[in-house]
Amino acid sequence: MSSGRPHRTWRLRTPREELADATAHGLLYLRRLRRAQLTLSVMALVAFGALFGVLPITLFLLPRLGRTSLLGIPLTLWLLFVPTLPVFILIGWLYARRADALDEAFRDLVER
Amino acid sequence: MTALLAVAAVTLGTLGLGAWGVRFVRTTSDLLVASRAVSAWWNAAAISGEYLSAASFLGIAGLELAVGASALWQALGFTAGYLALLLFVAAPLRRFGSYTIPDFAEARLRSPGLRLLAAATVLVIDGFYLLPQLKGAGLALGVVTGASYWVGVAVVAAIVAINVAIGGMRGITYVQAFQFWVKLTAISLPVIVLLIHFGGLPGRATLFGSQLPRAGAHGLAVRLNAPQRVVFPAAGSLLVAGRVVRVRAGGQLTLPRGLVRLPPHGIVPVAGGQGILAAAGARWSEPVAGSGQAAPLLVYSLLIATFLGTMGLPHILVRFYTNPDGHAARRTTVRVLTLLGLFYVFPGFYGALGRVLTPQLYLTGQTDDVVLRVPGAAWPGPVGAGLGALVAAGAFAAFLSTSSGLLVSMAGTISHDVWPRLSRQRAAGVAIRRRRFRLAAAGAMVIPALLALAAQRIDIAILVGWAFAIAASTFCPMFLLGIWWTRLTARGASAGMLAGMLLATSMIFAGLVLGEPASPVGALLAQPAVVSVPVAFVVMVAVSLAQRTVPDATPEMLALHAPEGLGLRLAEGEGEGLGEEPRAPSIVATAPAWRREDR
Repeated sequence: MSSGRPHRTWRLRTPREELADATAHGLLYLRRLRRAQLTLSVMALVAFGALFGVLPITLFLLPRLGRTSLLGIPLTLWLLFVPTLPVFILIGWLYARRADALDEAFRDLVER
Repeated sequence: MTALLAVAAVTLGTLGLGAWGVRFVRTTSDLLVASRAVSAWWNAAAISGEYLSAASFLGIAGLELAVGASALWQALGFTAGYLALLLFVAAPLRRFGSYTIPDFAEARLRSPGLRLLAAATVLVIDGFYLLPQLKGAGLALGVVTGASYWVGVAVVAAIVAINVAIGGMRGITYVQAFQFWVKLTAISLPVIVLLIHFGGLPGRATLFGSQLPRAGAHGLAVRLNAPQRVVFPAAGSLLVAGRVVRVRAGGQLTLPRGLVRLPPHGIVPVAGGQGILAAAGARWSEPVAGSGQAAPLLVYSLLIATFLGTMGLPHILVRFYTNPDGHAARRTTVRVLTLLGLFYVFPGFYGALGRVLTPQLYLTGQTDDVVLRVPGAAWPGPVGAGLGALVAAGAFAAFLSTSSGLLVSMAGTISHDVWPRLSRQRAAGVAIRRRRFRLAAAGAMVIPALLALAAQRIDIAILVGWAFAIAASTFCPMFLLGIWWTRLTARGASAGMLAGMLLATSMIFAGLVLGEPASPVGALLAQPAVVSVPVAFVVMVAVSLAQRTVPDATPEMLALHAPEGLGLRLAEGEGEGLGEEPRAPSIVATAPAWRREDR
């Protein structure tokens, strides 16, 4: 531990050292990671909006749905619960997998 | 009697586990975040247990009974909030490594002043959230024992304050996880047994609103404890003080205290002045409609408040620090979505069943009781009593766990953020800090308990909606911009939070003063998020951009977004010195002998 890093000045600096010293290159790696994560989150949000966010206005514009019923329960109430909750979980699960993969890629880059 | 025993069992179980947790409490950091060593499923159950409050357990069904299917959006919004939290906040916030929202505000924006503002906001949100929990407790104890409303409020307030003061959060992590399963069982089992018993849903015509609620085949007898003004949604009659009174449609009447009888299949009158509509047809069964609570603008406002407000709930966020790293924080949040998705299928059944089984709640106006009353109404006898006891125990689990979490958050904020600043004595020892935490836990309960006594007439779901709206208008923009936007300044964050807070609270109070809303714009006062959230964001961005000099946010961004185990983020132990001088996160370069410690 106390011996330090031998020949440090003679070899190329790793991305990790760049980051630790907050150099221009290191910051570029970090900004790229942040952008990628934000893009992923916004994409997941758009998917959520397209699948769930449009539901209230759809039900409003199609009042016919409320007069149809399935197994004695109005179709609107089926639409409210049956597809929505699994969609939340699915979006969350897919997002978490992709986000972890982005972190992993960054880790590999930095540890090279 | 059975119900009382079940409630006592849940309460003793909570206190017992809390006391058991005390044995593990060694330092203040144990007390506050349980040493960050809890597995993902335990954590997810604990977060869900803390989150499922009186609003989820009683409020959604109560509001559904009162205003119709539009109340069900709340169940979806309460779940979806965790998706927003997962997408934008969970992992970065955990990586940043501050304990509380005031810690985060100060460390990210390097402003001690912002810490105090954030602490004040925490107290407002938690206070608003604690109030309906105590209201629910007062109602539930009344249903179970027949005790007065104030007795239930006082008893639960005292139990929670004592439990938090002696146990802290280590005990409560396991207590909360235990309580999640109690709540899920308590809400789902009666519904499942009921559906099997009736072979489906009984009285569908009334259930889904094609008919108005009516008395049963033997009529309906209701005992009123106080005079009650009622409105007849259609022409009907009733027997009061030995006299038959006939009322035309829309007719109003003030009933004296005492026994009131309705004839067999008679129209049930509705308590006036509380926003209850015994609406029939499409007005009841459609989640979105042209007017009233179900207007699309109000539905979207509610969804915005719950979607964005969840990430600003201080008692929930503090639990994310018990995840070991950002990756675990994401994993836990996906599990929370799953557990909550399971739970929120059930409350809606009670509101619909209540229309058939407990129509007297329309007359008394106590629609928030519906979950507690449905099992007993479905089976007069031991089965109903048993399931009623189960539901009462679940409701108690809901009040105890949520109020404990809220009180931990409030006491932590007072003892950690506000007190040291007032006393100017920063380097307080562990014993002093612990004593402060305990005193704050006792003190923070007083004001919400007094307000709960005054708020007996306001729907639980509405009260909780305000806490979400305020959180979405203050902490949500601070987190989203603070985590993802380097240009945010302390002045911008303060201005935006103040603007959101003032706008949301003034709209809510204006709505309270003006009473029953007549127009959609008036109704918006009770549901302010669609206005106050964008205003908070715009103010925050505009004030930040107006500042020429922006402090370099590189270290903070590194701490927020760099994965753990690279030696690039906050060293473990930093930011954990409670009550010490704040410092900006620093980057620690790793020693050569560095290894991946998180594999």
